[in-house]
Amino acid sequence: MIDLQEMILEKDRLIPLLRKLKKESRLIAPVTNKHGDTLLSEINNIDRDTIDLDRQPQNSLKSFFLPQQEILAHYSVDTTGYNFTAPEAAKETIYFGVRSCDLTALLYMDLIFSKPAKDASYYDRRNRSVIITLGCNDPFANCFCEATNSGPYLDYGYDLQFIDLGSSYYVAAGRRKGADLLNKWDYFFRTVEEEDQKIRYQLFLEARGRFNRNIQVSHACHKLQEEEVAETIWEKLAGRCYDCGGCAYVCPTCTCFSVDDMAIDDSHGTRIRSWDACTSSGFTRMAGNHNPTDRTRHALKQRFLHKLKYDYQKHGKASCTGCGRCVDICFGGVDITTFIEMFTRDAS
Amino acid sequence: MTNSIEELGSADVLLVTGSNTTETHPQIGRNILEAVDGGAKLIVIDPRRTDLAKEAHIHLNLRPGTDIALINCMMRIILDEDLADDLFISMRTENFIPLRDYLHRLDLDELSATTGIELKKIHEAACIYARSSKSVICYCLGVTQHSCGTDNVQAVANLAMLTGNVEKKHSGVDPLRGQNNVQGACDMAALPAVLPGYQAITDSAIRDRFQAVWKREIPAVPGLSLTEMTHSGKDGAIRAMFIMGENPLISDPHLSRVQETFENLDFLAVSDIFLTETAQHAHVVFPAASFAEKRGTITNSERRVQLCRQAIPPIANCRPDSEIIMELGKRLDCPGMDFESSDEIMEEISLLTPIYGGMHYDRLEQSHGLQWPCWNRDHEGTEFLHKYYFTRGKGQFTITRHQEPAERPDRTYPYTLVTGRGSYHHYHTATMTRNSKRLVREYPEALLEINAQDAKTLQLQDGEKVELLSRRGKVRITITITDRVQPGTVFSSFHFFEVPINQLTTSVMDPKSKCPEFKVCSVNLQKVKHD
Repeated sequence: MIDLQEMILEKDRLIPLLRKLKKESRLIAPVTNKHGDTLLSEINNIDRDTIDLDRQPQNSLKSFFLPQQEILAHYSVDTTGYNFTAPEAAKETIYFGVRSCDLTALLYMDLIFSKPAKDASYYDRRNRSVIITLGCNDPFANCFCEATNSGPYLDYGYDLQFIDLGSSYYVAAGRRKGADLLNKWDYFFRTVEEEDQKIRYQLFLEARGRFNRNIQVSHACHKLQEEEVAETIWEKLAGRCYDCGGCAYVCPTCTCFSVDDMAIDDSHGTRIRSWDACTSSGFTRMAGNHNPTDRTRHALKQRFLHKLKYDYQKHGKASCTGCGRCVDICFGGVDITTFIEMFTRDAS
Repeated sequence: MTNSIEELGSADVLLVTGSNTTETHPQIGRNILEAVDGGAKLIVIDPRRTDLAKEAHIHLNLRPGTDIALINCMMRIILDEDLADDLFISMRTENFIPLRDYLHRLDLDELSATTGIELKKIHEAACIYARSSKSVICYCLGVTQHSCGTDNVQAVANLAMLTGNVEKKHSGVDPLRGQNNVQGACDMAALPAVLPGYQAITDSAIRDRFQAVWKREIPAVPGLSLTEMTHSGKDGAIRAMFIMGENPLISDPHLSRVQETFENLDFLAVSDIFLTETAQHAHVVFPAASFAEKRGTITNSERRVQLCRQAIPPIANCRPDSEIIMELGKRLDCPGMDFESSDEIMEEISLLTPIYGGMHYDRLEQSHGLQWPCWNRDHEGTEFLHKYYFTRGKGQFTITRHQEPAERPDRTYPYTLVTGRGSYHHYHTATMTRNSKRLVREYPEALLEINAQDAKTLQLQDGEKVELLSRRGKVRITITITDRVQPGTVFSSFHFFEVPINQLTTSVMDPKSKCPEFKVCSVNLQKVKHD
């Protein structure tokens, strides 16, 4: 068997290919619904659900691997004690049209949910996933993935990476599962010509120059290793935070969660995991009303330091992937870019 | 609002009075802060040091209930500094001379002493507001919930007209509405003296128009306001009530009187999405469908009528309020109660309500809503009000005089209690928000804000429970020591039924609007003695 690593797919062949893929697994792709919202959604009918690759999905991959609310276990109580049953196993799923930032975020989540032990429900879904990304030729208004080393194209981590060359896609396999797909459906593809390579390289160069925003992420990471953030900055940010949790919920790398046992009746119930946010004071409040975080002054401190300081120390890379979603959603205008700009502008 | 929300973001001066905007109107708060970030000046009038007040260039932390004195003081300074807009006054207003003469007779130092704010600060604020031609005033219930609420609003209107800061983009007077659709409810005449579209019930030609469609005689006499009804008492005229989406047994002032009324009703029916404290007293409860389970429109503060689409079918036996009303109407032999859908209801609204004349569902479906007045299908809606002329023709100046709140602190009740919404996490009587586990976790109990100086005098610790008493009742409440309130003033919300703060508030109301004085009553605090 030939190991096909890079191939060209003519655009006319995309839907026929996806139709085949959908027969074997669940297919998730960006779809713009009738209200004008673009969301990564399950494709039920490939002819009716129009895949939209021109707009950024409002949701990231997070909700598919760490759902907003998920059942970790069902329990029942009888004379023998507690009995736990695992929820239904995940389905094989192909994610198509995933942006570079969102895959980078998933790779970060892989890390978070692997220690100290592999999180069973996360890895159940992850092991049954194939991720097909789409490089960004034209970054969106608030994107800054180049500054976070998570785009516009990726070097690794994807199963397949698509690059739009105009009338065709340049398709590269980055992992075994991707290469297997290329092999299996090789008759849809043609080989890469030198001309394709040239266009791809040119598009990459141009994409890097198209960012609206120049956010000094690595400068901020370095500076945070050396100095403390002025209290006035934290207070200014906290004063503008509405405590809505929107940033954490749209963020592809925010993984804070809470676990609750919900009784259905006296002898049955479910254990539920749901998203939470470090910006909420109730998340860190302990017995006797003690709280290591004073929301009124430090509401956003943990959020920003975790992403730009602690994760940088631990993994050598900030855990912000520059997707820009928090910029869009923040009511108070105190998203991570505001913080980076305030902190790096500071003369001290 | 005379303006559109978006205009606020481009104003040069924002005068926010009696509004904790960032907490209670986050979307509008965001526009205000955007303006500030863009270089606009922000003046906040509020007895509390709210988050917005912290962002202000000038925070006028007045003594509760002295709004008129403060605005009069500002207007007098504007006259003295020759900053009044003479052209606007002569072209678009009337009755200016009596106001001018009245203002000239006032003593600035006396006014400043009444408000408790130093004159220099008021002077600076007045000049900032008057010097810009893109000045906006936003106000909320801190202005209206007083025994002189109507005069407070008139004073604000005087100030805007004096400086010509109305009738154009980026300047106007903007009452911020407290519920998502309270504007729509008022537009549809959930008010005692008008028919839909603010058409006077006393006008026989208007009544005739409605009677022709409704096939029912419409009374020519205005009805009662909410507080008049819930305070009608043991032997009051009100014998039966049908309440929809309202929880007066927590939200109305002087609760013992409300309880008395409810206990003596012959019949009470309540329609709500949860079993509220009021619903628990009802003879009949209708489970109503929530916003997500029905189709209809919502009209927001900027007069924008927006279509709200049904997301899910009604859960269990719930039904939309409109259906509940129609079913009741049919059983009461009321004609015309057979609307097929909310679309058909809107067809009638546009027929009978001139300001909604151009509101058609197909138009609303294709837009983010239309702002009234929208006279007909060709009309694109109205971005800001009073272009060319005021609704009544010329804008009328009316003299407003300072009057003390109904209750003033005395030896028995030395503190002033201000009530309002407490946080982002709960909404009004928390009918909905206390059903969210996460919101309850974030804000689990009622808190009384008290200044450190007062806490020290009373030997109270942060987090301690106190007994809070007024002439009308008492509650037990946990205190939080904060610089948000001034010495002598305490603040609490009305979100928690366990701490029904409205046991304490007064039933004194504004004589014209009938709005109760929720913002000022005298109280005392007592340490809770442990056995």
